[in-house]
Amino acid sequence: MVHFSGLDYFWSIAYILLTVFSGVLFYRLGKRSGADFFLAGRGLPWWLPATSNFATHTATDTPMWFSGWVYRSGMYGIWGSLFAGWCAISAFVSTRIFRRSLASTQAEWQTLRFSGLPAELMRGWMAGWQVALNMFIAGWVGIAMGNVCAWAFNWPIWYGLVIFSTLCAIYAMTSGFWGVIIADVQQGITMLFIIILVSIWAAMAAGGPTAIVEKIQALNRPEMLNPFHFTGFVTGDYPLLWLITMIIVPFFGGFGMATHSDWFVEAQRIQSADTIKSASYSIWSGAAAVIVRNSIWVIAVLAFFVLNPYMTDESQYQLAWFRMGFEYFPPGLVGFFFAAILAIHFSTVSGILNLGAMYATRDLYNHYINPKATDKQIVRMGRLWTLLVLLGSFFFGMMIGKDVTKWLFFALWLMTAGTWLPNILQVIWWRFNGWGYLSAWVANLGICWLVVWILPAFGILPDLKDFQQFWLLMVLVALVYLPVTFLTKPDDMDRLVKVYVQTRPIGFWGPVRREAERRGLLQKKEEIDLRAEQEARKEG
Amino acid sequence: VVIGMTVIYFFSLSGLIFAYIYYKKNK
Repeated sequence: MVHFSGLDYFWSIAYILLTVFSGVLFYRLGKRSGADFFLAGRGLPWWLPATSNFATHTATDTPMWFSGWVYRSGMYGIWGSLFAGWCAISAFVSTRIFRRSLASTQAEWQTLRFSGLPAELMRGWMAGWQVALNMFIAGWVGIAMGNVCAWAFNWPIWYGLVIFSTLCAIYAMTSGFWGVIIADVQQGITMLFIIILVSIWAAMAAGGPTAIVEKIQALNRPEMLNPFHFTGFVTGDYPLLWLITMIIVPFFGGFGMATHSDWFVEAQRIQSADTIKSASYSIWSGAAAVIVRNSIWVIAVLAFFVLNPYMTDESQYQLAWFRMGFEYFPPGLVGFFFAAILAIHFSTVSGILNLGAMYATRDLYNHYINPKATDKQIVRMGRLWTLLVLLGSFFFGMMIGKDVTKWLFFALWLMTAGTWLPNILQVIWWRFNGWGYLSAWVANLGICWLVVWILPAFGILPDLKDFQQFWLLMVLVALVYLPVTFLTKPDDMDRLVKVYVQTRPIGFWGPVRREAERRGLLQKKEEIDLRAEQEARKEG
Repeated sequence: VVIGMTVIYFFSLSGLIFAYIYYKKNK
């Protein structure tokens, strides 16, 4: 139970008012048009989406799972940061391709890249999936806040979920992406400042960096200080194959789109940047900040470990970072620490609410139900769907409750393991067609269910580790989409030439490039980039 | 797993059906 002084209450309430006010302040800009409500008019300088990337990817559950990894595995846990590594490649490959396409959403990209019925089916499928997924993520992050408040203030678990997600929805509904992005900037600065401060305070509480190292060795856990401590190729707690998987997946994933579930958040920020160069810089620097953040967190978690070395209950030691702040900060600073936790929470939930509403509004409503919708109708529908995603997040959040780890299992494998390679192929291989891509998505949902739950339950398949499941799913899903691709016709050549000329994808596009040259459509890349920027400004 | 999958399938298939109706109507 955390005790707040008068100054602590002041900091917390002042911060809530500042955040909601700074978001609502952009009400007039947000309601100007659909492009403003969902993409801030496509005119942002690189540092705004960059800060938003960092702030959105720092959520209430992030220090929990990161603390869990580092408490269990020491420095080996730092390789979890490789998850963000795909941005380093994507910033100069798929980010630029996607930005040139001017697609508002990843679902819209489907109807630019593929042709005919499968392209439309893929757009509808992905839009519906994204609405549900963002409800799930907002619920997941929301209930993490519920758990923190239950531990800190003895509140019922739903208080933290409902109160703080609703506060986010106020400015996400009134100002849309403008409110989200402006609030993200002050939230990103606040949280980075506190993250650094907690690590300094934690290191001091544990006696300084040298004392931490000595105490870890005295506890007979020297492997915690060695990030290259492997227990075998696939065996033990620290297998080498896990690290190899963690390097291969982000590296090659950066050549594709939607290879990581983070892509959908990034895609919105890519299209909100004012130029292609800005989009690249924002993705690269946002991810770099995430990796630096993790390195700073390690200090606080290792300090917590030497102060509390014998904890075995994951639900307790995953609160390491929160406990260092609440237990070691002096009165007055505790309230500021809670304000930073609110910043971490608000930035993620507000972004996710707006993202879920964008797929429901731009793709399902504006593309399928009312293609002639006015900007006023689009903004109104955007606000309604922000509210519906919020209510959906309450449903998922209350279902998750304290079973965060059980649901993490579901979240990771439901999503992208089997579609990882098709998501790369759609960018680098002209012959990969709409039917092949759609079959990969549908097959992935079915096969991951079989591999992860059904077959092990009946003893047909042994319980595999997550990285082993990844490789198995990749092969099994490929056995579906590769035959489907070759048994169906390539996409319409007019469509392929159009997407090639506009977006300049890398990889195996020979026949399409030759056709584009024959039609005299190929210009210099610089001219294409300039035209894309002019069109974006016009739309903004 | 069953509840999570059901919700995800419900939304994904709803989107797919919207798309199919739109495509047929346009054609």
